Amino acid sequence: MATRTNEEWLSDLRAEGETRNTALEDLRTVIQKGLPYALSRWLSPDLPQFNSLVEEVTQETLLRVLDQLDTFEGRSQFTTWVHKIAVRIALTELRRKRWRDSSLDELTENEDVPPPPGLLADTHAGPETVAERTDMLARVRRIIEEELTERQRQALLLLGVQDMPMEDAARKLKTNRNALYKLLHDARLRLKNRLSVEDIHPHEVLALFEQK
Amino acid sequence: MNIRNIIQSIRNRLHPPEHLSDETVLGFLRVLEKAEKEEISCNELYDKLDEYVEREVNQKDAAQLMPLVRDHLDLCAECCEEYEALLDVLEKTSGH
Repeated sequence: MATRTNEEWLSDLRAEGETRNTALEDLRTVIQKGLPYALSRWLSPDLPQFNSLVEEVTQETLLRVLDQLDTFEGRSQFTTWVHKIAVRIALTELRRKRWRDSSLDELTENEDVPPPPGLLADTHAGPETVAERTDMLARVRRIIEEELTERQRQALLLLGVQDMPMEDAARKLKTNRNALYKLLHDARLRLKNRLSVEDIHPHEVLALFEQK
Repeated sequence: MNIRNIIQSIRNRLHPPEHLSDETVLGFLRVLEKAEKEEISCNELYDKLDEYVEREVNQKDAAQLMPLVRDHLDLCAECCEEYEALLDVLEKTSGH
């Protein structure tokens, strides 16, 4: 099977007759080579429905690709874009049929972390008083201290609050950009998830302090 | 409590964190609020997914280059499933 550039794929699929037919057949081969890998977390290849699902999805993908050809922006290989469409069609179908083997579900650490006891407020008081602000700050402070490691706090402080350039922050924390990026990302995510569990919304808290 | 929380609370007892000022606490919240405003939708993610996965397979720096995509994948199970499926396809069919 000939390899095509993005431009060649587009041109051949827009052509007529044999050129187009050959391109479609080649694309069918590409899709069918990739789909089994996409489905592997969902469905065993030994199941009788496997092959018919591959065929069904391949057909639907070819139609959708032709229909959406003008939307391809060339930000990736054409075949990658096509695989993406195939994955979307396949997974939509699998979710609809609920073929998912629940033993393959992976619980993320975030979903599994309960809030420590005693931290949830007993009452949801109104937003106006100084005491409310103090209490809210104390809750958020405690959450930051419980959720984040020292390094994560430092990363969030330097990069997020103080807006230090990445290189400077990495040097200060004696680490590299990649590790620092991960620190920042993990810190933001942990904080965001924990606040969400406690039903605290950053913009609401900030609004409390912006009121005169 | 999971292991991570236990370790964290032991660490905090041995080395209590420096007290965070009110301004710092508010600063952390502003960082989160700003991130929330920049979040992308599932549709926006789908548009960028092919570029993201290809970058990840070839140069392994997709998360840094397209952090909003990475953030969405961390928070959205369905988009994450599509990401993993496409990643599987590209990795297994390109000989990486």
